[in-house]
Amino acid sequence: MRVTKGAKIATGTALLALGVAACGGGSGGSGGGGDNPRAANGTVYIRGCEPQTGFVPGNINETCGGTINDFVYSKLVKYNTDTAAPELDEAASIDTTDNTVWTIKLKPGLKWTDGTPVTAKNYVDAWNYTAYSPNAQIGSFWFGDIKGFDKVNTADPDGPDGPKQAPKPETDKMSGLEVVDDLTFKVTLNAPVAVFRTKLGYSTFAPLPDAFFKDPKGFASNPVTNGPFKFVKWDHNSQIVVAANADYAGAEKPKVKQIVYKMYKDDDAAYADLVSNNLDFTELIPPSALAGDKWKSDLGDRAIEGQQGTIQTVTFPLYDKEFGGNADFRKAISMAIDRKTITDKIFNKGRVPIDSWVSPIVEGYKAGSCGELCTYDPAKAKEYLAKAKAAGYTPPKEFPIWYNGDSAHKEWVDATANSINQALGSDAGFTVVGKAMPTFAEFRDTITQHKIKGMFRTGWQMDYPHIEDFLNPLYKTGASSNDGLYSNKALDEKLHEADTSTDPAQAIAHYQEAEAMLAQDLPAIPLWSYGLQAGTSKWVTGVKVTPFGELDPLSIAIKEA
Amino acid sequence: MGRYAIRRLLQLIPVVLGTTFLINYMVWQLPGDPFAGRCGQRPCPDSYVSAMRAQFGLDQPMLVQYGHFLKNMLTGDLGVDFNQVPVIDQLGAAWPITIRLALLAVAIEAVIGIGAGVLSGLKRGGFLDNLVTISTLFLLSLPVFVTGYLLQWLLGVQLHIINPTVSDEATVSELIVPAFVLASINMAFTARLTRTSIVENLRSDYVRTAVAKGLTNRRVVGIHLLRNSLVPVLTFLGTEIGSLMSGAIITEGIFNIHGIGGMLYRAITGQDYTIVVPVATLLVLVYLISNLLVDLLYGVLDPRIRYE
Repeated sequence: MRVTKGAKIATGTALLALGVAACGGGSGGSGGGGDNPRAANGTVYIRGCEPQTGFVPGNINETCGGTINDFVYSKLVKYNTDTAAPELDEAASIDTTDNTVWTIKLKPGLKWTDGTPVTAKNYVDAWNYTAYSPNAQIGSFWFGDIKGFDKVNTADPDGPDGPKQAPKPETDKMSGLEVVDDLTFKVTLNAPVAVFRTKLGYSTFAPLPDAFFKDPKGFASNPVTNGPFKFVKWDHNSQIVVAANADYAGAEKPKVKQIVYKMYKDDDAAYADLVSNNLDFTELIPPSALAGDKWKSDLGDRAIEGQQGTIQTVTFPLYDKEFGGNADFRKAISMAIDRKTITDKIFNKGRVPIDSWVSPIVEGYKAGSCGELCTYDPAKAKEYLAKAKAAGYTPPKEFPIWYNGDSAHKEWVDATANSINQALGSDAGFTVVGKAMPTFAEFRDTITQHKIKGMFRTGWQMDYPHIEDFLNPLYKTGASSNDGLYSNKALDEKLHEADTSTDPAQAIAHYQEAEAMLAQDLPAIPLWSYGLQAGTSKWVTGVKVTPFGELDPLSIAIKEA
Repeated sequence: MGRYAIRRLLQLIPVVLGTTFLINYMVWQLPGDPFAGRCGQRPCPDSYVSAMRAQFGLDQPMLVQYGHFLKNMLTGDLGVDFNQVPVIDQLGAAWPITIRLALLAVAIEAVIGIGAGVLSGLKRGGFLDNLVTISTLFLLSLPVFVTGYLLQWLLGVQLHIINPTVSDEATVSELIVPAFVLASINMAFTARLTRTSIVENLRSDYVRTAVAKGLTNRRVVGIHLLRNSLVPVLTFLGTEIGSLMSGAIITEGIFNIHGIGGMLYRAITGQDYTIVVPVATLLVLVYLISNLLVDLLYGVLDPRIRYE
């Protein structure tokens, strides 16, 4: 080896030298327009993240896995990308006269990627498998409405912490599911459920092929699917590749040959790749780019704005005498939050203040159900606080708003606390402070064990676009996500009335009446609804984003020349 | 020296046992149920929580679990993580990338840091010395994420010299800029450490003797001065290897490198002990072995240091 003459390296020039050296290794940046590098093999790259579980739709409850599963599985119903309305997908018809017995007919000629036909049995088997408690599927509770669910899904008598084990279920088949012929099955529910048709588009209601039942474990990482795309490969923590399914029977066919679901740890990294056209789509524009609308000047016509069905609320622990407060106190807090300023300053208008407990984009939304109680009015807030105190409630000196510190909540929680403190004044007798718990797991654990001391942030991302999804799981007595243990008999009755209505319009009217009742007690304070900020590279066109904030995989196309 | 090395290697055993026990214990003491946060705003079904706890032995006492862990570690069977993906595959994918990145960073640190330190130490008070002092001060005051985002934006987004992120293969040429970012702060430390050491040793008796003997400048600096001056620098660089591997979380995030740092971070936030414990154990081993190597190198650099 020869030692070169000028071996001296000055630190000042090192940076430049390194940059030039790295140039040789890169696969070549864009040389200024010209050919579209995506056109050669029809592959597009979109931002992804590592799913928690594999490709079993009944065992998924998070967005990383949910997004890619929606690409590869078709269900009976799908939601219109523009309007969020449920439309028939694999189902030819879904008929009912009483919202209790549903007859579902499949379209003929649907195929799995292994060539076998999609049959009614595939649906019934999949639903039975997910519901059967020894299979320990995350989505099991979704089938609670179906007759015979309690026979296949048994509860642990003392919870998972206790020493006792759940008894083995009597049977592994729900009596409410009946295969009529290859393409027809009948679903009998315990009671009328007006939104059952809408629910059928949720990923848990996807079918599973016979191949799944031979080897459920292997299937999870190498699935046979029925959607517009089929699974190709999964490199853990780096990428998932799906390819257009040539046998897909849907009216709209995929416009690209392959989608690479490229995993990013950091939204900023994905954004940097998007700006320099190495990534074709991301639905997460980082706060640094949202600030001052920088992303719009970076991306120009490649920026996509919209709404998604997620809302942010703050919930009170109503079981706690000290921090539960009374209705007037909660109203005082709500009216002391300046939602508009916070969404303008902290989120750059990326979120929209709401005055209802339901996302504005879903069926049954009605503006103003919270009305002036969700409008900033310091004078009225003080009045309500005085009323609350007169009724005998003394708030503790320090009133926390809890949040999980592992994602970006600190800014808005602190701003909300400040807004409340300023509006109620220094003579309020208490101060609101933002407090973090380190991880989401610890945060949720404290909440579900009902040990939290203070208000806490609650967000709700819709499962399906219907007002029912924002009420039943959250405010019904004993509901699964009723974190504050709110209980109101009149509300329960109204919700039941809505659930069991046979006329969809009537059901929605009842749900709206139920929602209006929440204003009496204000068990949770609505804050804002999430906007959607996404972006594309200059190589793709036609990109649409669903109301769930995901890419519509059928919309993305590669630009010609 | 051989016996010394063997004795040090044997000492590793109790240290590894102790640290793994502590790591296991601490993971267990973390508040919150690792499966409580896995279903978002809804609570997970009891049947799911029970099945997961049974699969990962969370329903057994801590000592029993530690016993299982030791057995699995010795047989090389690390099982699957909470996502049901084999841990060994994930380690196999992430370690080579992290090692490449860390070694590259140490190399950059050593070459630029020592080079700049030696030059400025020899020409104390000169232009070069001032340049190095100012530029190291500048580097020291920049947090890693600033350097990272700045270089990514400048070289990646604006000039298109590099891709803003590293591909899944993470080749050496792609890793140069991230390694430079990772090394930036410690490079400045190394330069200053070397400079001080050189300046100090320049005035020492043995250098004066060597000069008086009429040795060439190259020999005085290259053999006598440099060897002695490098002892503290080497100590610093040795301990760096371990922290560069575990502490690359920010750099890995900026450039989307799928290495150990991000994996560890994800596992800690998800309380996934199946990843945390083996990764932490391996990091402990890296620390111990790199320290041993540094100790052995002392003997090579400074003949006065002998190992029995």
